[in-house]
Amino acid sequence: MFQIDSLLTIQSTAAIISFLGGVLVVLVVLFLMTTSHIEEDKTSVKHKVYKLRGRYFFVLVLCAVACLFITLRLLPYSKFQGEPEQTVSIVGIQWDWKMKSGAFDKSAEEFVKDTAAKKEITLPANKKIRFIVTSNDVNHDFAIYNTKGVLVAQTQAMPTYKNELEYEFSEAGDYHILCLEYCGLMHSIMIGTIHVN
Amino acid sequence: MLQLSPSEIKKNRTFIKVWTITFLVVFPLLIVLGLLMRMNQGEQINLGMDKFYVLMTLHGLGMAGLLFSTSFAALWYLLGTRHVKLNLGIGYFVYFMILIGVIGLTYSTLLGKFGAGWYLLYPLPFKNAIWPAWSTGLSIVSLIILGVAWLIGILHVLYTLAKEYGGLTNLLGWQYLGKKQVKRELPPVVMISAISLIPGVIAYLAGAVFLVMFLMQYFEPTLTFNMLLMKNLIFFFGHTLVNITLYCCLGWVYALLPEYTGRKWETNKILVYAWNATFFFIIFAYFHHLYMDFAQPLGLQYAGQLASYFSAVPATAVSMFGVITQVYHSKMKWSIVPLSFLIGVAGWAIGGFAAVIDATISVNTIFHNTMWVPGHFHTYMLGGVVLFIFGFFFYLSHTKEEQEKDIMGKAGFWLFVLAAHSFIATFYTGGVNSIPRRYADYKGIPIESTHLIGAFLARIAAICIIFVIIGFLIMTVSILIKLTRKKTAVMEHVQNS
Repeated sequence: MFQIDSLLTIQSTAAIISFLGGVLVVLVVLFLMTTSHIEEDKTSVKHKVYKLRGRYFFVLVLCAVACLFITLRLLPYSKFQGEPEQTVSIVGIQWDWKMKSGAFDKSAEEFVKDTAAKKEITLPANKKIRFIVTSNDVNHDFAIYNTKGVLVAQTQAMPTYKNELEYEFSEAGDYHILCLEYCGLMHSIMIGTIHVN
Repeated sequence: MLQLSPSEIKKNRTFIKVWTITFLVVFPLLIVLGLLMRMNQGEQINLGMDKFYVLMTLHGLGMAGLLFSTSFAALWYLLGTRHVKLNLGIGYFVYFMILIGVIGLTYSTLLGKFGAGWYLLYPLPFKNAIWPAWSTGLSIVSLIILGVAWLIGILHVLYTLAKEYGGLTNLLGWQYLGKKQVKRELPPVVMISAISLIPGVIAYLAGAVFLVMFLMQYFEPTLTFNMLLMKNLIFFFGHTLVNITLYCCLGWVYALLPEYTGRKWETNKILVYAWNATFFFIIFAYFHHLYMDFAQPLGLQYAGQLASYFSAVPATAVSMFGVITQVYHSKMKWSIVPLSFLIGVAGWAIGGFAAVIDATISVNTIFHNTMWVPGHFHTYMLGGVVLFIFGFFFYLSHTKEEQEKDIMGKAGFWLFVLAAHSFIATFYTGGVNSIPRRYADYKGIPIESTHLIGAFLARIAAICIIFVIIGFLIMTVSILIKLTRKKTAVMEHVQNS
């Protein structure tokens, strides 16, 4: 199952790695600019740079393969999910969320008319929840923000398709659902709430 | 080397001057749209949601179209004055078709209130739109005109190059892979042009397919098309357009940088393998836009991450190391042109690195459609492509001596670079803080920290944009002073090259 307890760490890690990558690029640029006044024969330069390039190529491919090996085992797709302890059906409509416990028993069009399907839902903590997500009009994106305002999981809500997202809430409190796919005028206020207890 | 008469040089010069002035006029207007958007998100002005999304649509479509068109025009000019005679009549026809398309899009957005975003994600233009139906129709037709214009221009360049160099496979450099001695040297700019423009043709055909489907639905609203297919077509078109914009620029970096370093940049086996691999990655990397569409076949998700990761190999190990080989210990003078190219390559490297991070499926789960995304594409567009374009404009307008002595141009350049990267940093910071993209404002978000951080970063971004504009204007003045005099540097460098 795709579940990472501390997603803030992933976001921070990505930021730190990117920052260090940026610093490295700036250092290379400064080095090139400050040493360019020296004149060296092209053949000699080629020899030095190509030697470095050979090592760089080896390290780069090694890093890419290692990252692929690690990250391709942490996919959010249904093939990588376990057995859910609870299922929730969700339909996005311009500009609201309709959520109801249980698997879909009707079409998306009928689902949005169901008075039991609401923009708020209460779910338990520490249980594997499977969200079956679709849309009744345009593309939306069902994004879960935790109590600290950190994006922890998301999937597209696409008309005629059902995307299955699995998530386990680690703490009690109010999680918010934001739409992360531009869906028209009120896109920024298409909000839902999951009360976790 | 191509032999041109003085009158042919003059005609080519006029053509590229038209494009230069077009860019210098339109680009700041599109930046102002971005400034207004960030000010609205920062709650400094109140545009209203409808106007925000109109500006967002025009800014996205305008920037993507303008940057590609200018990159392509510069490539056209370099090829047309050095390697093959291109038909300027076709060039002007393409230019005027693009103008018609741009007028149509401006009209449909600013007056017709069309606000479906640059990508018109199906079926948004047809569902509960607040803009009139005619503006959707006009936008579709305008985009078709733009696509046809670009396609005509690209096909003309490809056909002329293929005729000159003995076929498409020769343009791709395959003759370097055999044991036979290569009869005619293939300049890297020619190979890069082919490798950028052939995927462009495929992408524009994909674009044509979805736009025709849009048009069918426009006239027959009861029609519907497969959502996932439409998404694939749209993102293949959009991703490829942006990708090849950067590669067109690299074409002229390969062509012009050696003029400053005095070191020839030749085509060889490694360059051919690297750029042919790039061809493959341009086609398949777009799948990373659909990671959050869980219905997409799993194999294509893997393909997206693999292509995105390994696209870094030729980009860095060959092109970036190639730049290092060019400038390291070259005793070159850092005039504005090589400076723009080097800093542009740095922007490409930083933006590309951030893009690869986001192209990791498990990371994309928390970065998809957050501010991280505009962060990385602004890095390689504003911090890469635009600097390459400015480098080209300085090359075009200034003599080599003027390029070295232009204090005003360099001051504007550094102001632009520092302000642009500060502006871009607000996007990355937003992404790390889970701030969603494409939000008119953050007032409706019930999470206080998200609202406050999002608005604060937008205000900082607005200040940075003002400095970006000032830097841009300083460089523009410097370029226009030199470009509009009677005896321009263009004549000199075409003859010298």
